[in-house]
Amino acid sequence: MSREAYLARVRDATQAGRAYRIEPRGEVTPTTGYVGGGDDLCARFAAEANAVGGTAVVVRSFDEARAELAKVLRARRAESAFVWRHDVLDRLGLAGLLAELSVAALDPGALAKMPRDTRRATILTADIGITSADYGIAETGTLAMFARPEQPRLASLAPPCHVAILERRQILPDLFDLFAALDEAGTTAGAPHKVPSNLTFITGPSKTGDIELQLTTGVHGPGDWRVIVVDG
Amino acid sequence: MKLAYLQHEHHEFRDAAADAMADAQLQGVLGRLADTLGVRNREAWEDFADSAATRERARRIKDATLADLDKHLETLERSVTRLGGRVHWCDDGAAAREAILGILRQCGAKKIVKSKSMTTEEIHLNPALVEAGIETVETDFGEYIIQVAGHRPSHIVGPALHLNAKQVAEVLSPVAGETLSSDREELTRFARRALRSKFAEADAGITGVNFAVAETGTIVLVSNEGNARFTTALPRVHIAIMGMEKVIPRLADLPVFLKVLARGATGQKLSVYTSLITGPRRMGELDGPEEFHLVILDNGRSRILGGPLRESLFCIRCGACLNACPIYRNVGGHAYGGTYSGPIGAVLTPLYDGLSQNHHLPHASSLCGACQAACPVKIQIPEMLIRLREQLHHEPRALGRVERWAYGIWARAMRSPRLYRAGTWLATRTLGRLKRSTRWLTKLPGGLGGWTRTRDFPAPAERRFRDWWSAGAGDWGLGAGEGASPASKEPFDHA
Repeated sequence: MSREAYLARVRDATQAGRAYRIEPRGEVTPTTGYVGGGDDLCARFAAEANAVGGTAVVVRSFDEARAELAKVLRARRAESAFVWRHDVLDRLGLAGLLAELSVAALDPGALAKMPRDTRRATILTADIGITSADYGIAETGTLAMFARPEQPRLASLAPPCHVAILERRQILPDLFDLFAALDEAGTTAGAPHKVPSNLTFITGPSKTGDIELQLTTGVHGPGDWRVIVVDG
Repeated sequence: MKLAYLQHEHHEFRDAAADAMADAQLQGVLGRLADTLGVRNREAWEDFADSAATRERARRIKDATLADLDKHLETLERSVTRLGGRVHWCDDGAAAREAILGILRQCGAKKIVKSKSMTTEEIHLNPALVEAGIETVETDFGEYIIQVAGHRPSHIVGPALHLNAKQVAEVLSPVAGETLSSDREELTRFARRALRSKFAEADAGITGVNFAVAETGTIVLVSNEGNARFTTALPRVHIAIMGMEKVIPRLADLPVFLKVLARGATGQKLSVYTSLITGPRRMGELDGPEEFHLVILDNGRSRILGGPLRESLFCIRCGACLNACPIYRNVGGHAYGGTYSGPIGAVLTPLYDGLSQNHHLPHASSLCGACQAACPVKIQIPEMLIRLREQLHHEPRALGRVERWAYGIWARAMRSPRLYRAGTWLATRTLGRLKRSTRWLTKLPGGLGGWTRTRDFPAPAERRFRDWWSAGAGDWGLGAGEGASPASKEPFDHA
């Protein structure tokens, strides 16, 4: 069987290759590469998210956040919203807001009941995606999204505009902190199910530099990427 | 540039390079590389306080991983299998193509979407899929453009870098069924529309792998456009293909690599989208594939793993060395002839495709070291190129007869003080006389003229060092009577 021959070949080469290991230079510690997020994680998160071409605002309350979101929905004349079911969105009162503005809410519950083809077509034509995130990362202005039945992957990808609502307590200083949190959750060898089927980091609107190295946004994912940070 | 070079792999670096240098449009595009990606990459290292140490850290993880590669690969297989995925071990390109076609046949796939993968370029997957009657669509914007144009990628991360906006419009207009303008926004909007329907219709998605985490069976995909996310969210089957060196042991190793990869590739702190995919979709989830296959490719890697150029397997395919390289910035990617171009391509192509037929590539470098300085894992590319040049000398077929003969004489002379003495005597009396006002000879006579066609030759001094020395200069002509200090009697002491 070719698997055995393959691995035997790799085993021999691995052994032989040890004669050519590199010489370490300089000192390296488990925190090498850690940057952190400074004193004010919300402000740093927003500054970084804006720097990468997003639109991030920090607000004091869920009321303010709702008003911000309403502005975006009106400005984009959204008729349908692909939304997550999430604790933060419940506290925001998302369902009420969408009803008030007559925006059709496509939530995972409703979508799950549709036949596969209808669901696909519906998802791909939604005007806006509204989510929270599992974590924000202040150092880079990044959202970390874990896929679950109530939090589908495509809500942050398919619509031309994605808005995420994030609370201060969700923001970590650095990418390293997120992996430390995963580690605490028990993602050691032999327990791959402890990691979500899909964990996506999002840092900015969809971008391409494929024509003449010039930046163009919105090529596949949202060109309009917004984060509302609730600091209160 | 000759169309054949854009379309097919070749072994004609010198002709293709000359062609590229004479192509005004290509020179225009390449001219921007240094000021855009090149600068951004350099600034990213400068702005990152821990840059040198973090790259060293990434480098050590790669080294340690390769020192136990067999174990990590087996762990990876175990993790993927436990999640319900399937691992396919493939010795070479033919085996990998066969495995992928087998999976597609089994699930009855007629249409597939792909996100950018250099490994699928390496195994020439697309022609095999098309031949099997499977509609194959590249979804990275740059890859899509060159797929329609029928070109090979010219850069590891910017495959369509060799085309300007006007040319892109010419390429895409027939597909659009209308005349597209050369406005970037308009072209991008067209691609978004055209590719959406492809994602929706595809039966399977094929991707590469940036990193594969052994302990969790997680494969990591990095992109800025989001096409890799669509490719792995909508189709029912996901096939990922990786070179076996892409494995890393632990999830905790990943942030180190994500930080250096994005900086190396585009000067970003993080790329826009990084997806960690751990097996097929789980119970109740609305999107994601139902089937997951991981193809682990050898294709010559195990041969390199056991040898002195093992370090080439550290490469994380970011393209930073291309942007930094004065040669690449003049000749572009297609001149190199192989799947991978630039400095790292000049190492990888001879290693994988054969040294003697790619004998120009190790010489396609001034050894300035810009590649190593830009590399996120600090691969010692110049040293590897020198080693390849040395190996070339032992492959007689790769050298011309005159060259072999000249180097043979040189080697003999350098080993014998008597011959060396005779040689330098001869040089000062022949070439030394050719010297005009400068220390460089711009034209050598006769058969030696090949050397000065593209570079100058250092002129021998009019007087040999040994003659000068024995004529009394050995006293250094220092202040009369004082004599030199003992340390400075060493003629090669630069202090």
